[in-house]
Order: sequence, then structure tokens, then C-alpha cells
Amino acid sequence: MIKYNTFTLKNGLKVIHHHDKTTPMVVVNTIYNVGARDEDENRTGFAHLFEHLMFGGSKNIENYDAPLQLAGGECNAFTNNDITNYYNTLPAENLETALWLESDRMLELAFTPKSLEVQRQVVIEEFKQRYLNQPYGDVWLQFRPLIYKKHPYQWATIGKNIQHIEEASMDDVKAFFFKHYGPQNATLVIGGNVDFELVQSLVKKWYDDIPSRERYIRNITPEPKQTKERRITIERKVPSNAIYLAFRMGSRLTHDHYLGDLTSDVLSGGKSSRLYESLVKNKKLFTDISAYILGGWEDGIFLINGNLMENIDVETAESAIWDEINLLINQSITENELTKVKNKFQTAKAFQEQSLLNRVMNIAMFDLMGKLDEINNENEIYNQISVKELMDFSKRTFKKSNTSVLTIKAIK
Amino acid sequence: MNRNIAPDFTKAQKIDLVFPQKIELENGIQLFWLNETQDDTVKLDISWDAGSKYQNKALVASFTNALLLSGSPDLNAHQISDKIDFQGGFISHDVDKDNGGITLYGLNNKISDIFSVFSTAFNQAVFPESEVNKLIDIRKNGFNISMEKVSTLCRQSFNKNVFGDETGYGKVAQLDDFNKVNQQDIVDFYNTFYLKSKPTLFLVGQVDDDFINELKKWSSKMGTTTPTCPPQNFKQTKGRVEIKKEDAIQSAIRIGRLMIQKNHKDYYKFQILNTILGGYFGSRLMANIREDKGYTYGIGSGLSVLDDSAYFFISTEVAKDVTESTITEIYNEINRLKNEYITKNELEKVKNYLLGEFLRHADGPIAMMENFKNIFFNNLSEDYYTDFIHAVNDVTPQQLKDLANKYWDKNEFLEVIAG
Repeated sequence: MIKYNTFTLKNGLKVIHHHDKTTPMVVVNTIYNVGARDEDENRTGFAHLFEHLMFGGSKNIENYDAPLQLAGGECNAFTNNDITNYYNTLPAENLETALWLESDRMLELAFTPKSLEVQRQVVIEEFKQRYLNQPYGDVWLQFRPLIYKKHPYQWATIGKNIQHIEEASMDDVKAFFFKHYGPQNATLVIGGNVDFELVQSLVKKWYDDIPSRERYIRNITPEPKQTKERRITIERKVPSNAIYLAFRMGSRLTHDHYLGDLTSDVLSGGKSSRLYESLVKNKKLFTDISAYILGGWEDGIFLINGNLMENIDVETAESAIWDEINLLINQSITENELTKVKNKFQTAKAFQEQSLLNRVMNIAMFDLMGKLDEINNENEIYNQISVKELMDFSKRTFKKSNTSVLTIKAIK
Repeated sequence: MNRNIAPDFTKAQKIDLVFPQKIELENGIQLFWLNETQDDTVKLDISWDAGSKYQNKALVASFTNALLLSGSPDLNAHQISDKIDFQGGFISHDVDKDNGGITLYGLNNKISDIFSVFSTAFNQAVFPESEVNKLIDIRKNGFNISMEKVSTLCRQSFNKNVFGDETGYGKVAQLDDFNKVNQQDIVDFYNTFYLKSKPTLFLVGQVDDDFINELKKWSSKMGTTTPTCPPQNFKQTKGRVEIKKEDAIQSAIRIGRLMIQKNHKDYYKFQILNTILGGYFGSRLMANIREDKGYTYGIGSGLSVLDDSAYFFISTEVAKDVTESTITEIYNEINRLKNEYITKNELEKVKNYLLGEFLRHADGPIAMMENFKNIFFNNLSEDYYTDFIHAVNDVTPQQLKDLANKYWDKNEFLEVIAG
């Protein structure tokens, strides 16, 4: 059970406090309601570029990291298609250091030409290291535009084209900052061994004078329903053929999320799951195969992807996956399988919630989703799911007309 | 309020470490148990001296470890996994150069059932040939994929060259080795290094006496020997080793040398020196090579300490055309630490950061157990962390400069570049 208290400042900043007396630490987590989905299609990769620029100094503080490290702290951040999340972990007595730093960069960044120039270069190297210089590294750069034709989910957080980062100007960067990084567009979560009164007074001290900026109204055209199968085959110098099947489903905010999650566990959660047993071990078609959901907040994807055994062609592999899907639809899953994945979820959640940082991030995510009051209901939601519901989910999701297929042909 | 002035902060003075209680099971087997947890989770690590240095054929240690629960006379691999999964259990297999083991995760009302499936399957493991062959296929594919990465090519070559490829630590598996592993090798390794050898157990969570008794009962069936491996004569290559990968767009760089272990008198202070050079986000290497030059997404340095040896390394991936400039800058940073004293401000920052790290690593019972395992496996005293904190507080610029000169002689370094 995660407990919390909330309050909101006049400038619109929502603050959530989570008390944990057993830790010597405090986590200061700021989630901004901005992700790659909010980018202009001709200026992609900005939310992620910002994740780098946010450490390049702010209006009154030359360097973000050094004062934090001096106070024994550590920080990091991540960006996805929906949100950007910044966090600091430091000894609880030094809470104020993190608030001083975080509030100043919410007030205004330093916007030094040097920082922009260097971080552009760092992001380009990140792009090479993660997407270009790895086998199968560019799959998502190719696959997203196949699945999404209208919605900004068609580009990855690193950007659709590295030129967008190369060409980012200071004016673009400033405009993006003032549009998205104000107090009205953020939730601040503070968790750890600090009490509510202290949090209240220190947050007021450092954040009250930050002006509220114009509220950004998100206006994204939803991706139209898919009506026929889409395919792409790419040839790459990789060791083995691979296949990716994507099915559109409901977003993270819908009940589909939970149904998709359990269905993916039935298919590939652990060694007793169906895909491993049937396709890896018995039929020997794949060396590995997994099913999972991408819980986008605006639209969801159910994904199955596998690497093929040598000498197995992609057609055989794909039709074997469809055989498993049809079993799911026609013969349903057993009560035993359902109990198993529910039990595994409970264990995983209990371990995950041991970490203060995880609890704090969860609070931030749930709040931004507008579901804070549901944060402690997840076990209950999963427990109530029936075999029938999963079967209905499979029927409406796993249709050829709702499928995008990417295959990779290995070439020498 | 003045935003130009940093608020006051305090320095972490001490960490409250909680050590596990020791319980003697049967056959001289030890259980270390921490039960001061806040929830229903239970984690049980069982560890043997069954790492890859004990194998006399490549891959055997890791294959044995991965297949420990792949079949018994009564249950096949699928049934074993299914029974553990049904109880909400998770299993992880862990093997490195020194140790091999298994970790069970579960909730306390299920842990006894999970353990019982584990112990039945483990004690009567038969390693079916079909499971061995399947794993060969899977691992071979994984090997081929990772060999496409410059980071893997670089790490493998570094490993081989830092220890010497005739040693247990330095031997690196080749593709052909996957065709040579067989069921008999695995059964032999299992008998000698798991069944007949003494494991150590690490338990975190609230369990009842019945469960402790089950562990006791199980330990009575286990062996009592402590295996030894042939002495390793480490011989490090000095100078440059290059591995060409034509289509690579970045190069991986790894520079380092054999180094002292944790019980050496210089260890604490060398670790502080390492932190300054490349051990945290604000390090000299990050500040220069990422934050000033923009050559890389990341660069770092560290010490890797094993039972019988240790090495120091610097590692990064950079654009191909700045490979040589990066290496030059790495040595520039090393030389600055050899020739100039660290400033009071920077030293203060590193000290406080490290003290914060101790706190972060002592947060929660699972983290506490990891700290204890570090002491246990490295044969350190229980004062290790307290002494480390003293060393952090006491270290002087002169001592750091002396250590840089003692351990960072360019002629002693191995440089591996893949790309």
C-alpha cells in the first residue's frame, strides 16, 4: 500500500509527498507532461534532447550535477513518447539542495550555446551507439512509421531523423522549453524520510515564485483504426532472421492494458509459457521469442517478436505464431494459466515496490495519467480479470487486419 | 532566498549497516538470514564455487548452471517451471568466473512450495540431452548477435589479454566451443561442483521456523567439499591490441591493467582515485570527453575484483574518427592526476558523492545483504565499510597523486580498440 498526500501551488505545480521512515534517503522526482508525442513532425527528438540540456546549467546555477554531488546526491532522467521524468536521490537531510536545483531549472535554463552544441553531439553519438551500431538496433526506427501513419507515435524518442537534432537552433530549444517545462505542466513527487510539513515549507520556498506559463493544450489527431495488414521486409547484416508482429490495442489508460499484459504473460512470461514451450522447445523454430505490450498513453501495441533458428524461413515462423494465436482465440486459456500469471504479477509488484525510487516514480506516472487514486488497486484489477475477458481481448486484437509485420532477412 | 547561493547541506557521517544472522545448517553449510523486512517478499540466494574458472572445457559452467532445473526423473523442464510459476515464483540463474548459483524469489506464503519444487528438481537433475541441445542453439544465436557488437569484441579481447588466455579467467569461448559441449560434461560438472560441494545460502525475508528447518533438511543432503581450481598464472599483455570490424560506425575502447584486490591497503584510496577519473557522472573523463568534446554518449572507469585477481579499466564507445583523440584525452586526464593535486572543492565533491553512494547502497534489506555478500565473498572484515568511510574522510590530495603515479604507468597498460 503506497500512501501519499498532495497539495498544489498557485502557479499550478502539483506536489505529492510519500513518507517512508525506514530509509535514510529522499527522492525528488519531477515528471513533465511532455514526450516525443508533443513534437512537431519536422522537429523530432526535442523532448529527449531536453533531457540532456536540462543538466547543462540553469538561470542562476552554472552546473546542475556538481552541487548535487557535493550534497551526496545522484540524478538521472528518461524520456519516452508520452512523458519526461527527472529524479534525484540524496540523503534525506539534504532535500533542500535538490529543490533548489530542480526549481531553478524549472524557472529557466541557462541556454548556453556551448551546452547546446555539445549535447547535440552527445545525442548523435547516442543515436549511433544505440540504434545504428547494434544488430537489429534500427528496427523501431523502421517499424513505428509502419504502425502509425498519422499519430506522433510514428517516431522514436531519439527522433525520426538525426538531422532534426543536428539542425536544432537555440530559438527552437527556447520555444520548446517555455511551452512545456513550466510548473503548470509538471508534478513534483517527494518521497523518503522527510515529513509533510518540511516538504510543504521547502517546496513553497523554492517554487512559489516560479511564474505559471501558458497551459499547453494537447491536440493530437488519434491514429485511425487499422483496416488491413501492413508489411515491411528489411535486409540487414545480422546473424539470423527475425520477425516482429504488432497488433493495435487500447492505451495504457484503458482496461485493455491489463488484459494485454496478462495475455502477453500467458504467451511468454517465463519458461512455462506457451510460446517458449511450443515454438522454441518443441517446434525448434525460434531461438527466442517474446510477447509484450507497449503501454502508450494514447494508443497501445501488443508485440510478438522472435529470432529465428538457422534455416527457418520467416513464412514458416510467422504461420507458427498464428497457430498459437488461434489456439488462444479458439480454445482459450485455462484457469490454471490465469492463476499462474496473476500470482506472478503479485510477486513482481511486491518486489518492485520495495524500492523507494520505484514507488515515487509510480506515483508520478499514475498522477500524470489522472489515475492517482488507482495506484493501490492494481492487484485488485488483475485479480478480477476472467478467462472470458482475455478471450474477448484476443478475438478483437489478434486479427490480420489489425497487424503490422516487420521481417528482417539476414544477409552476409 | 537567493537562488545563486546553495542551501546548506550536511555530510553523511555514518551508515547504519545491518548484518544478517548466521545459522549453521547441516554439513557445515551456512545460512545468512536478514528478516527485518517490511513486506511479504522473500529472496533466497544459493551460491556454490562453480564459476567458469573451475571448468576444464569452455561453456560447461554456464551450461550446467542454466540447466540445473531442466529435468528430473519425475518432472520435465516445462513441468518444473510451471510449478514454480504457478506459485508466483521467479528463478534467476547466476554464474560468473568464480561462483554459480540460483536465486528464488517469492512471497512468504509460497516460498516453501517454491523451494520444494526447486530442491526436488535440483537434487535429481538429469540434464536431458534435448535440453542441452536446445540451449546450444539458443546460446549460439545469442553469441553470434553479441559478436556483432564492438563493445563485446572489445570486452572479450580485453579479458583475454588482461589475464592471459591460458588462465581460467582469461579464456574466452569461441563459436566452435558450442559444438563441443555435451551432456556428460555437464553431468560431471554438476556432480563435482554442485552436488558434492558446499553451498552458502543468503536469505532475505520474513519466514517461519518451518522454512528454516526445510533448509536444514536440504543441507543434510548436500556435499561438504570446497573445490579448488588449478593456480592461474596471470600474464597481462601490454600495449595496443586492435580488432577490425569494417562496417562499424563507432569504436569501442578499453584501456586498463591488472590491479590490487579489496584487501590491499591501497584499495579504498585507489577506489576514490578511480571515482575522480571515471567513476561517476561528474568524473574527469565524463567532463572532458562527453561534456566538453561531445565524443561519446558515455565513458567510465572501474575496478573489477574477482577471487584470484582484479583489473582496472576505462571503457567507452566513440565515433570512429575521434578514436585517437579520445585515447589522447584519456591519457591527458590520467596525467593530470599524476602531475597535479586535486583541488579542495573537487575532492570535497567526490568525498560527499561517495558517502551518498554508501547510503544509496545500504537502502533496504536486499541492498544490505548485497553489502554483506561483498564482505563474505571477498573475505573482508565486518569493518570494511566503516574503514572505507574513514578512508574517504581522511584521504589527501598528496595520497591520491601518489597512487596515480604508483598504478597508472602508461607502459603497464593494455589498450584494446574494436571498430
